[in-house]
Amino acid sequence: MSEVLVQQIERLAAEHQAKCTQLRKGETTVEIDQTQVKGFVKRLVTETLARHLSTITGLDLGQNIGIIYHFWHEKNTIHVKTTVPKEKPTALSIVDIVPGAILYEMEIHDMFGVEFTGNPWMDRKLLLPDTWPEDLPPPLLKTVKPADIRKRLGLEVERK
Amino acid sequence: MLEKVATWARKRSPWVFHINASSCNGCDIELVASLTPRYDIERFGAVLVPSPRHADVLIVTGTVNAQTKDRLRRVYEQLPEPKHVIALGACAAAGGVFKGCYNVGQGVQDVIPVDMFIPGCPPRPEAIMYGVLKLLGEVK
Amino acid sequence: MSEEQGKPPRKEESAGLMKYSAENLVPFGPIHPALKEPEYFKLVLEGEKIVEVIPRIGYVHRGLEKAAESRPWVQNMYMFERTCGICSFVHSLTYGQAVEGLTIYEVPRRAKFIRTIVAELERIHSHLLWVGLMGHWAGFETLFMWVWRDREVVLDLVEAISGNRVHKSMNAFCGVRKDMPPGMEDRIVERMKFLADRANYYKQIIDTEETMLERTEGIGRISPDTAEALCAVGPMARYVGLRSDIRLNDPYAAYDEVPFDIVTRSEGDVHALLKLRLDEMIVSANIVSYAVQHLPDGPIRVKIPPIIPAGEHSSHSEAPRGEIFYYVKSSGGRTPERVKSRQPTMANLPTALEILKGQTIADVPVVLTAIDPCFGCMDRMSFLDIESSRQWTWSGEQLRQYGINHYFPGRAKKR
Repeated sequence: MSEVLVQQIERLAAEHQAKCTQLRKGETTVEIDQTQVKGFVKRLVTETLARHLSTITGLDLGQNIGIIYHFWHEKNTIHVKTTVPKEKPTALSIVDIVPGAILYEMEIHDMFGVEFTGNPWMDRKLLLPDTWPEDLPPPLLKTVKPADIRKRLGLEVERK
Repeated sequence: MLEKVATWARKRSPWVFHINASSCNGCDIELVASLTPRYDIERFGAVLVPSPRHADVLIVTGTVNAQTKDRLRRVYEQLPEPKHVIALGACAAAGGVFKGCYNVGQGVQDVIPVDMFIPGCPPRPEAIMYGVLKLLGEVK
Repeated sequence: MSEEQGKPPRKEESAGLMKYSAENLVPFGPIHPALKEPEYFKLVLEGEKIVEVIPRIGYVHRGLEKAAESRPWVQNMYMFERTCGICSFVHSLTYGQAVEGLTIYEVPRRAKFIRTIVAELERIHSHLLWVGLMGHWAGFETLFMWVWRDREVVLDLVEAISGNRVHKSMNAFCGVRKDMPPGMEDRIVERMKFLADRANYYKQIIDTEETMLERTEGIGRISPDTAEALCAVGPMARYVGLRSDIRLNDPYAAYDEVPFDIVTRSEGDVHALLKLRLDEMIVSANIVSYAVQHLPDGPIRVKIPPIIPAGEHSSHSEAPRGEIFYYVKSSGGRTPERVKSRQPTMANLPTALEILKGQTIADVPVVLTAIDPCFGCMDRMSFLDIESSRQWTWSGEQLRQYGINHYFPGRAKKR
């Protein structure tokens, strides 16, 4: 059964100019361009019935921010990887295809600063405190140090 | 004279308000377990109250992150005098295993004054009861 | 019942309310919270009925994922364990599995069985904790006391095996840190039988006790299709009939060697959730008995070097509340490049918000507890009634008393 699924994914990946690799048994990676993500995800969800999105991970890749969608279906995990440039971190939201993605996209918005166009809750914070300074970069970028964040949030107190 | 009666009454039966300030819930479930029949902290008169305005003792668990700092201070101000604060667990004492994380304080004593630290990750119900009763002995 | 009279909302505010469109579940439109104090949930009402819920989590956000990038691999295991006190073992297990997948080493069979035993003991303790809390929020304090007393039986076993009641720290990479103490087999089997009997007794109670029936039957419904679209996990998926259980669908540890059945229910209300979790307790007790009696011999651990080879791997497992997911990326060093951890409560939050719609205020405590959130989430809730423009804030206790008095008027307040 899993072989059929893998073949379906490989076919879908080819149709969306994406690179499909078998990471190991039960884990497939699809590297795809931002413009093709929505089309691919829609077909993945409707044709292979891989409806369950475990979560979305953000990554700091130097020049770009990586976004990985982790789908799970029938003993197979499918990592759909895409990137957005750091100078313009905008991605397309998939909440109209997978409504359960709404909070995961909010989390990446908080942690990496990526704007998901089409996600209605981009105007609010999910995890970061209300006192987060406007000029402080998102915390999970590699250039940000925890000690600096602590100072700005007022969590470092001088002990006598 | 009235003062003596009031102190005696307070000493016999501390009313405790519990606040979870960014805790993993480990300390909270051990605190609640101390209410259950095996440990039964109520036989010593300690009672969990629903509002800080009725409490003598404030028990704080957790790392006190930037979001809960202000709420903790506000709750502390709502407690009527004389009030006491117990910091429960390693996180409340000094940040615990999360010390250095970007949204974690360095302990409850940076936000409000603390009278008693109960160490542990999480402290056993017996340790919690010992700490509360020791504090009772200190209430003058 | 204390309330703060808010100003009536401005025209733009009441115009921009959240609505779900009929065709799909995606919410659209902003809402402007008027209260300054942070609240965990903001409930928008029309009269007594809830029309929208706005969550504000972040009260337990500590910055673990960032800290993990500067700590050695093995230290992270004991840090992620403390993400949650109730399902701590499964967190360290999933993180361990994710990292082990990057190495060439295999977990010994005996270690897999011990991991299964401790994971199932944790499931029993978590479900018992939850049933007790349901009793507390529904107004049935006796159930809470009885259940938590039975829970001590499980914690005693956990302490005998691992040395601690809550944060067991049993896991290590490619194995477990402590072996099963000799001579425990009979004691464990006997206690599991005791717990299974107690679970059956509690099932009888919730089927006959008026308090539980009134407050949980017919409450908290959602369609299976909606639950699947919102990516519900664990009991929140199984209580509407979805056959989603990672222990069966994608076995890890020793679940492929231990025979057991998935538990699902079709009624789809909070009463069904109660029965489901109690049934799962019985299944877990049987798994523990079987695993203890068929424990294979052999080593409990394979020591691995502190440098993990480069690569990426993800792992998931069935925590008491649902799917826990970990993704790790290594660049071949002593510390990870990225660790992503996703707790089950967050996965179930969209489902919970959807279930709350159409419920009344009196049902909120029971429904929210049914999704098994963390303690702190129930501390503070704000309400906005768009019909009367009233706004007020309640503590969890005030909400609980309101619910009890609504269903059983005249019942004396506890304190």
